[in-house]
Amino acid sequence: MKKLILITTLLIVSIVVNAQENSQENAGQKLLSNNTNGVTIGGYAQIDYNEKDGHDAGKLDVHRLVMLVGYKFNDKVSFLTEIELEHVKEVYVEQAYIKYKANENLNVLAGLMLVPMGIINEFHEPTTYNGVERPNVDKYIVPTTWREMGIGVSGNLSEASLKYQAYIFNGFKSFADGAGVLRGSDGLRKGRQKGAESVISNANLSAKVDYYGIAGLRLGLSGYFGKTQTDDTHIEGSQVGVSMIGLDARYKYQNLELRGQYITTSLKDTEDYNVLSGKDLGSKLNGFYTELAYNFDLKGEEKLTPFIRYEKYNTHAETEGIVANETFDKDEVLVGLSWKVAEGAAFKADYQIVNNAVSGSDSEKTFNAGIAIWF
Amino acid sequence: MIIQKFTVVFLAFLLFNNIPSSKKIDKLINEEIKNVFQLEIFQKENIEASEELKSMLPKNFDVSNFNKVKNGDANIGFYYVGKAFGKVDYFDFIVIFDNDLIVEKIKILVYREDHGGEIRSKRWLKQFIGKTFENELIYSKNVVGISGATLSVKSMTFAINNVLKSVGVLHKNKII
Repeated sequence: MKKLILITTLLIVSIVVNAQENSQENAGQKLLSNNTNGVTIGGYAQIDYNEKDGHDAGKLDVHRLVMLVGYKFNDKVSFLTEIELEHVKEVYVEQAYIKYKANENLNVLAGLMLVPMGIINEFHEPTTYNGVERPNVDKYIVPTTWREMGIGVSGNLSEASLKYQAYIFNGFKSFADGAGVLRGSDGLRKGRQKGAESVISNANLSAKVDYYGIAGLRLGLSGYFGKTQTDDTHIEGSQVGVSMIGLDARYKYQNLELRGQYITTSLKDTEDYNVLSGKDLGSKLNGFYTELAYNFDLKGEEKLTPFIRYEKYNTHAETEGIVANETFDKDEVLVGLSWKVAEGAAFKADYQIVNNAVSGSDSEKTFNAGIAIWF
Repeated sequence: MIIQKFTVVFLAFLLFNNIPSSKKIDKLINEEIKNVFQLEIFQKENIEASEELKSMLPKNFDVSNFNKVKNGDANIGFYYVGKAFGKVDYFDFIVIFDNDLIVEKIKILVYREDHGGEIRSKRWLKQFIGKTFENELIYSKNVVGISGATLSVKSMTFAINNVLKSVGVLHKNKII
């Protein structure tokens, strides 16, 4: 395997030597036709190789391939969609919303949209983060890519250096066709409705404020509050209350980059829910990560970025009526390299060591390599 | 129920709002010039360049958007109005120079898309003040970025670099 990687790397180097400079100049061509209306196209891709330590076979996967198509009707009104192919065979719509610009500080958005929580859910294009896979806090605690149907507002208050977003969304589905959906191992993840004939029984509120008034620093505070959805509100215990709070920070000073995120989720009435459904949903889920990276400038726009990330997350931080499962209490160290060969193209490799809280348990080690594209 | 109320409130709100038309953009430009030069009355005069000179300027620089600001016969400064691309749409900006070709003010006149609007921040734009055609702007070296608005930041940096370069060419050829 190591040989294959080396050969691939050499092959890539020879291609990269002729890499084009100044892709910025072409950016405007994304908007086909003229300035006032027209179609925008774009997309991103994440192609992975994962190899677990031991005797397991490796896995090669076109994990995500997403096409962005937008249409601008006029300066006020535009429509944006992202159509996703996951693992080649599953088709999803990741975003599909209309934007109405009411004034310089206010946009009204409606449709299928990303829930603003932490960093990755909104900024999930693979060239914007380090590591082949997204952070696991953004898988088990924030169920990225988390999108819901709703309506909301968003805008920048440039005097105050603030960005605000507020939405009313439908939410996670906890109960359908007489059975529970949510479970202990990944919390709310299975409950995402993804805009596919989604059920709404209760509205949920989502909001985020970002502050970027200090040079190089961006701070975010997100909140999500409400109740899960059920297809039968008469069944007691089929819904749980959700309150999720997130804090995130990104700091960049010249070639140095730091980021971190903390998410905590409280779920209400999980004891009744678990009794009804036979599931093992926790009542508190939380996690954080912190990451340090340094960009070495190579020739042209190429960059080589070594990084290290520490993550800790637990989908059974607290439980009601059931014993917490310690295998859900995990921490991990990830060390890796990102080699950006163009503004929107990178090769990545990392090594991941995951431990759980069960005493005497073995750590799980994985080598990951991949390609990240965004255009 | 809540959703209905919410919708009604916002539909009402929208009726009272409007975005800049080209007339409003002209008004915004005039206001910025007034503020920078502390003048109530001034004249704008387009800068003319030969075809040969135009071919020496960066591709994205449109000399017909570059103007002198005059107070009677006296030249008091210059300004350029340009366009740059964010993630899915263009935004408009103005750069105002004093008589020594030093950047006095930069402002985003119209930002259209939802993504990347952070670059409208006054504090962020301040870093371009004082630059001249002798400066080359480099993202994350002498231009501080904004996480979450990288595309717009880089695009703006590229556009301002082009403006500065063009001013340099025009100056060397004694047009300004």
